[in-house]
Amino acid sequence: MISTNEIKIDRDKGDFHYETNYAFDAGIGLNEEVVKYISEVKNEDEWILDFRLKALSTFLRKPLPTHWGSKDLESIDFDVIRYYLSKGQKPSRSWDEVPDDVKNTFDRLGIPEQERKFLAGVEAQFDSEAAYSRMKKSLEEKGVLFVGPNEGLKDHPDIFKKWFGKVIPSSDNKFSALNSAVFSGGSFIYVPPGLKLEQPLQAYFRINAENFGQFERTLIIADEGSEITYMEGCTAPKFETATLHSAVVELVALKGSKIQYITVQNWSNNVFNLVTKRALAEEDAEVRWIDCNIGSRLTMKYPGVILKGRRARGEVLSIALANDGQHQDTGAKMVHAASETTSNVISKSISIGKGRSTYRGLIQMPGHLNHCRNNTECDALLINNNSHTDTYPAITVKGDHNSVQHEASVSKVSAEQIFYLKQRGLSESEAMSMCVNGFVNDLIREFPMEYSVELKRLIELEMEGSVG
Amino acid sequence: MKTALAPSSGTSKSFLGANEFFSSFSDKKSWEPEWLSSHRKTNWNLYQSLSGTKSKDDRWRFSPRSRFSYSKVSRLSSSSSHLSFKAVDESGVLVSSIEEVTRDQPDYLMNFQELKGPELGAQESFLLACAFAENGFHIRVGRNVRHTEPIVIDHTSPRSDEVAFHRNLIVMEPNSELILIERISSGNHDESGFLTNLTNVKVGNGAKLHRILIQNLDLNSTFHNLENFEIQRNSCLRNVSIQLGSAQARIETKGNLLETGANFENYALTLGKKDQLIDTRTMQHHLASNGRSDLVCKNALLDDSKIVFSGLIKVDERASFSDALQTNRNLLMSSDCEADSLPGLEILANEVKCSHGATSSRVDDKELFYFLSRGIHKSESEKLIALGFLDEIIQKINLADQIEIVRGLISGSFPKN
Repeated sequence: MISTNEIKIDRDKGDFHYETNYAFDAGIGLNEEVVKYISEVKNEDEWILDFRLKALSTFLRKPLPTHWGSKDLESIDFDVIRYYLSKGQKPSRSWDEVPDDVKNTFDRLGIPEQERKFLAGVEAQFDSEAAYSRMKKSLEEKGVLFVGPNEGLKDHPDIFKKWFGKVIPSSDNKFSALNSAVFSGGSFIYVPPGLKLEQPLQAYFRINAENFGQFERTLIIADEGSEITYMEGCTAPKFETATLHSAVVELVALKGSKIQYITVQNWSNNVFNLVTKRALAEEDAEVRWIDCNIGSRLTMKYPGVILKGRRARGEVLSIALANDGQHQDTGAKMVHAASETTSNVISKSISIGKGRSTYRGLIQMPGHLNHCRNNTECDALLINNNSHTDTYPAITVKGDHNSVQHEASVSKVSAEQIFYLKQRGLSESEAMSMCVNGFVNDLIREFPMEYSVELKRLIELEMEGSVG
Repeated sequence: MKTALAPSSGTSKSFLGANEFFSSFSDKKSWEPEWLSSHRKTNWNLYQSLSGTKSKDDRWRFSPRSRFSYSKVSRLSSSSSHLSFKAVDESGVLVSSIEEVTRDQPDYLMNFQELKGPELGAQESFLLACAFAENGFHIRVGRNVRHTEPIVIDHTSPRSDEVAFHRNLIVMEPNSELILIERISSGNHDESGFLTNLTNVKVGNGAKLHRILIQNLDLNSTFHNLENFEIQRNSCLRNVSIQLGSAQARIETKGNLLETGANFENYALTLGKKDQLIDTRTMQHHLASNGRSDLVCKNALLDDSKIVFSGLIKVDERASFSDALQTNRNLLMSSDCEADSLPGLEILANEVKCSHGATSSRVDDKELFYFLSRGIHKSESEKLIALGFLDEIIQKINLADQIEIVRGLISGSFPKN
């Protein structure tokens, strides 16, 4: 077992804060001026500003989705949030050039170290803009693009403009509209045909300022027959006031390509994490969302795959852990739009203390398609008496050539299991921790090695002191 | 006996909301006790305040609500002509009509005012049934009475263009037992109006109710069926619902497991054909510990039919050691049918065993091949496969003669060779 000391250091890994002076600040609140300021600072083309302004009016028009979502959304005050804060426009290519305060932050989070060890490229975003971005030279030479949205749209419009805002239109929901209006930072990635990236690319998102909203935008295009694994991690210090993170992530998997997108979300308990993630899978392409939600106050995130080409495959594997004061509202969407497409959703949630976890699913199979299959499993584990779990799938199947199966169960760790482990010398909390790890183990194995070790540790931490 | 025609006040608004209509209706009911007329008035006012609110309602997700609209009919039919049963008043069992009970003992049904509907979305139907129900049946089974002979109630649909409201109350006193068969049908093809049926059931401590509902309305009629079951300590309610007819049916069934040891079984089957829409909403609400609930909903779909199944298992914080199951199986037998499943769980207690499963699939090619290779025609094979698929529910009827009737009705729904 891991000793208590080690655990204590780790728990507060993300909970620190350095005073920072920002060179660019769009002020507090949201209006047209703020949007224009962001666009001007970034020196954007006219069409992007139009896109932003149009999205702003959509955002202002759309109601909050409280008729099905959590009422907690109403406690977000859009007028006290700062929408753009940055030290500069261009990310550094070497850690030495990164300003000290920012560098210290990422050093403490272990990013440069991880980069040396096992990553093909890293981008580190500090509030609104990337502070550091670098990719292995060999990949650059092969034509892989790993840039920010500004650079992507300006320098490579032929590649990115075609897909930008197409998988998730800005009017998709209130928060995708908000992101489209004020987006800044994020990764635009292009992998050329046939190229298989052996090592993952990583982005690390850090919120440093109080009352801040982070709105990064990610667009990954995997050209025919290519393969890519992308990982993102998120942390923020614990502030008293609410912080907003609202990203839009679009994936485009062209014919025969594979995209694997891994998220380990460990925001502090004051962050509203309202993210729209969707992928488009063409013929024979495969998209996997691997999603782990441990932090945040309220997460609403339903990664989806539109299976547009024949034999495309979509998968969502998700783990959610909801502790006191947290609501993990996660799920998956699978829209079958071509024959012989298959999808698989496995969701495991754990509710501890007064935590609440919710699964929402959407499966659609129109009648003109043949041989589409979906499998959905959602399992929930409740640890304490006042924890709460919900499951709300929605399945639509038309025609007589498709099949869907959905299963969900709710259970708790049985007294016998705990007794058995205690008898063998484990303490009650160690025993509980082991049972919980066992519950998610088959999913954790799907994560890359480095992450699965980290995840197991994180789950142990969250479990500590929760029983008894 | 028909109530006077009242012109509808707007294009989409129902005549039931018109002031003149309600006052002329109330005038005819002047013999009713004071509490009942004020009960009608209260609910009618609530109905008035309801219309006009057109916000998105998740309880109607996937359901084209306009198909159930009361603006499609223009007259209220007298419900007494749409209900028939054998009245009983002996050895602790009372089977009577609501109208008769109210005439004989004006205050006997006063608790009508406190009864709730299933509250799963069809609030409009609930309020209208409270305001306009002219009849319905009332059954009371006395303490320790075991009535082994099934009681049969027949509801029939009004004529097309008309609506009828039935309001029923079943009270099972402690340790009583009863088997109830409700048949809902159209007398002839012309009887294809709206039938709205609101039923409240109270199952007392240790009592057992086995209720079978067989709906085989004309394929042009509309059926709203609202059921709210209150299940007490160690009592058991088994509800078997067979939905075969109507153009569109909205079925709302809620079982409240109010006290420890309550047992709620809800088994439903639907055979969808033509352009039928069967919209089933259920809730298994565990309010006390050691409750057990089981729901199985099986649907076979032909032609252009559509089924919506929405089921929620809700386990309250104090309802520990609850055991709740929910299964939805859809058999899709044509290229134009549609099945929407919304199985839901809301769990607030931790010592529970809850699960749900939903599958939608087609006829297994191997099964079909087996039949065909033995010289059985394709349509006959499909009929047999559907009958086999639905048999799990049919068996729950547990009465040999009724099982045969239901099998016959299902077989008859398939095209002849």
